[in-house]
Amino acid sequence: MNKRYVMVHDENKCIGCQACNVACRTENDVPDGVARLQVRVEGPFGEMPNLHYSYARISCQQCEDAACIKVCPTGAAYRNDDGIITINKDKCVGCQYCVAACTYKVRFMNPVTRVADKCNFCTDTRLKRGEQPACVTVCPTNALVFGDANDASSEVAQIIATRATYRDKVHLGAEPRVYRIPAKKGGIAS
Amino acid sequence: MIKLDRRAFLKGAGASGAACAFSGGLPGSIAAMGAEPLKGSATAVNSMCEMCSTRCPISARVVDGKTVFIEGNKAAKSFGGKVCARGGAGHSLLYDPQRIVKPLKRVGERGEGKWQEISWEQAYAEIAEKMQQIKQQHGAESVVFSSKSGSEHGYVFDLAKAYGSPNTFTHFSLCPGAYGVAAQVMFGTKVKRDLGNSKYIINFGHNLYEGINMSETRGLMKAQMEKSAKLVVFDPRFSVVASKADEWYPVKPGSDIAIALALNHVLIADNLYDKAFVERYVAGFEQFAAQMRDYTPEWAASLTDVSAKDIRRIAHELAKAAPHAVVDFGHRNTFTPEEFELRRAIYAANVLIGNFERKGGIYAGKKAKTYNKFAGADVAPSLAKPGVKIPSPTAERIDTYDKQFSLVASMGGVYQSILDTFETGKPYPIHGWIMARTNPMQTMTDRARIEKVLKGLDLVVACDLYISETAAYADYMLPESTYLERDEEIADKSGKNPAYYVRQQVVEVIGDTKPAWQIFRELGIKLGYQDYYPWDDIHTLQLAQVHKDYALLKRIKTEGYVSFGKPLMLREPKMVADFTAEFATAIAADDDGSYGSHLKFKTPSGKIELYSDTVEALVAGRGNIVFRDVTLKQPDELYFIQGKVAVHTNGATHNVPMLANLMSDNAVWIHPKTAAARGIADGDKIRLTSSAGSEEGKALVTKGIRPDTVFAYMGFGSKNRELTRATGKGIHCGNLLPHQTAPISGMCVHTTGVKLEKA
Repeated sequence: MNKRYVMVHDENKCIGCQACNVACRTENDVPDGVARLQVRVEGPFGEMPNLHYSYARISCQQCEDAACIKVCPTGAAYRNDDGIITINKDKCVGCQYCVAACTYKVRFMNPVTRVADKCNFCTDTRLKRGEQPACVTVCPTNALVFGDANDASSEVAQIIATRATYRDKVHLGAEPRVYRIPAKKGGIAS
Repeated sequence: MIKLDRRAFLKGAGASGAACAFSGGLPGSIAAMGAEPLKGSATAVNSMCEMCSTRCPISARVVDGKTVFIEGNKAAKSFGGKVCARGGAGHSLLYDPQRIVKPLKRVGERGEGKWQEISWEQAYAEIAEKMQQIKQQHGAESVVFSSKSGSEHGYVFDLAKAYGSPNTFTHFSLCPGAYGVAAQVMFGTKVKRDLGNSKYIINFGHNLYEGINMSETRGLMKAQMEKSAKLVVFDPRFSVVASKADEWYPVKPGSDIAIALALNHVLIADNLYDKAFVERYVAGFEQFAAQMRDYTPEWAASLTDVSAKDIRRIAHELAKAAPHAVVDFGHRNTFTPEEFELRRAIYAANVLIGNFERKGGIYAGKKAKTYNKFAGADVAPSLAKPGVKIPSPTAERIDTYDKQFSLVASMGGVYQSILDTFETGKPYPIHGWIMARTNPMQTMTDRARIEKVLKGLDLVVACDLYISETAAYADYMLPESTYLERDEEIADKSGKNPAYYVRQQVVEVIGDTKPAWQIFRELGIKLGYQDYYPWDDIHTLQLAQVHKDYALLKRIKTEGYVSFGKPLMLREPKMVADFTAEFATAIAADDDGSYGSHLKFKTPSGKIELYSDTVEALVAGRGNIVFRDVTLKQPDELYFIQGKVAVHTNGATHNVPMLANLMSDNAVWIHPKTAAARGIADGDKIRLTSSAGSEEGKALVTKGIRPDTVFAYMGFGSKNRELTRATGKGIHCGNLLPHQTAPISGMCVHTTGVKLEKA
């Protein structure tokens, strides 16, 4: 396993338009009422006229040290050959341990399949066909970049090396693989 | 082609619950009718979106027999192969159990919601009979025709012409019209903006990050991220575009014009304008400059709540970035009765900084005819306009009864004049209304008045996908195939160079629906106008469009979007150099490396007209760009303004399952101070009351709005029962907006005063 697939979300470029959310639902057959991926626009924070919104991607963080895998009693939650955490539907018994254990609260029970579900970077759909994840494909403003961070020539590796990025809740030690480029308040980072 | 199972598809689209709830409910719906198993293409088909009016080039394919995955067509560079939430959700409309797939005839009172399924033949026969009857009794001009602009309006308006009615209306006066009319008057042509190459952008509430126009939205982001462009936004609301701006000014609603005028004042008074450009290309500068003398930043500050210091500085920064700078002329031009002057004032600032046909400025589209003239050869194919010339009706249009609207009449008409004319009977009474894919009950103002008009007509026909709020009052509902189910003629998408694209069928037609071209052709033939419909299908028409060039047609259909040549802006030396290097036969550049000597304007003076004799002749005192004070609200009221959201389109998408799930309500934005004064907390039920009507909604208490203003996203709060997911959710803006038409531009004004209380 020498790949390290990561997603970079540039919060300067994100406009919260939900194109990613819709594309993800379509590609991965996500039922109503649950979501593998959302962008939450929150705020405004600050005082007029110095206000700002936050644009946050909410989805599986593909933790290097993943609680969902540790707690799964049947091996349904596992790391694929490409390093992406995915779910073996046949092995899932619906115990919801993974839902409870998820550091980022992004796992859910799929009301149609009755098994645990979450973002897997489209590994079994688009990646399998040699395409980019659905959200990256459609993002109107190119706010998402996806690729193998172990490949130094990849765009994601270069972004991580050269841009200020942060990851959510790193103090919990799960080592998430979703990187965020923070928005410069009141303007766009160059 | 693969076989699809409809049940699996509905399940896949997440609409199975709705299918059960609706089973057998609404006559003519997918749920009630059932449908044959579906067939669709598993390989990508390049086509054209229709979830909003931008009509982005898309690429769509059926995936695993369950869903249609829609993305942008990568061949269209400025669109980047991208698609927004609305575009990506198109398939959920396609298989929506509530969608109407069989012609319907009203059996109860208009708007009562009682329908009967009928055959197309019966629908055509009965509509044609009624139309003939009205024509004999009252004249053809007493039937009005309206349609959303785009592919539909051509088919509907051809029928109007054949029938003999001059009264055809598009969405123009309800949304974008003023910038079109203003451009026509000043430049003699429509203009485009080159946001992607701009280094300084002034924006008056053009919220491109929510009202997404893919190419322009991407251009704005490109300018900000790659060109480090500065973005200055004036908007009473903290919109997404405001949140991404370098500077945001919560300007007083409807007062933007004072800022635009003050920018012009500073550019002239401080000698910042491009004198050479003005001298060479502009007429009426003296009258204009004299008028601008009074519009100081100090004057504007008193009206707008933006400081004079900031306005003056912004004008200087704009001039410094010129010519690669732009004052954005907006999209939804419905803020104030002075829209015509506002949009002219904005154009004037662009003229003063000499950004016409310069990178990052404004420019005129280069269709094949113009482009080839510069290239000295046919480097881009021209499209033919095949067809039979239908004689123009001789009766006067209802909107030119008031002569000041003669400019708009030729562009899309004053839509809301249908209501005025119905009430006054001037210049003559109206008896019928035939419409396609238009929903004036959501996009026009004074809903109650529209309802009254629709109830009072002899014949109302609606062609739509759902029983829209307006279609609910029709006598006949003609179900159109969605854009994913139909082929259409080739469309021109030229920008800086010529480009064409085409809408193509992705899945086979569901139920008993037809494309608009076929519906209005068949109705026309039933009326006896077969001579005006020389082709049987769209493929014959497409072939005629490309002058029977099979290879070209094949290329356009395969690639979906084809552009020719290199981008050209006539006053951009580098682009002109690239152009002349590319085409050996090209016209030689001027001494300064530009095509500046070839720049002509189709105005009476042949120049850009900062003062217009044409307009002066229509309404005395309007030739020059003049500020007029307007009353948009009473002292004890709040301003009520609206805007677009990224996941919905005006009056069209609120019932589409996937989009309704994303957002089904429009909570009203209220400033904390304003809310507190009325004892309103976030999430509380509130009531808005205006001179036109009253609406109950939910409060969104937020600092992102001026204390004297409330805001709501438009298109929500439908009132007819058929749109189950959208009805009764949120406030209906059209029920709060009184009827008011802006002079010259004919715009339907969308700002008014409301009283706010806890419900």
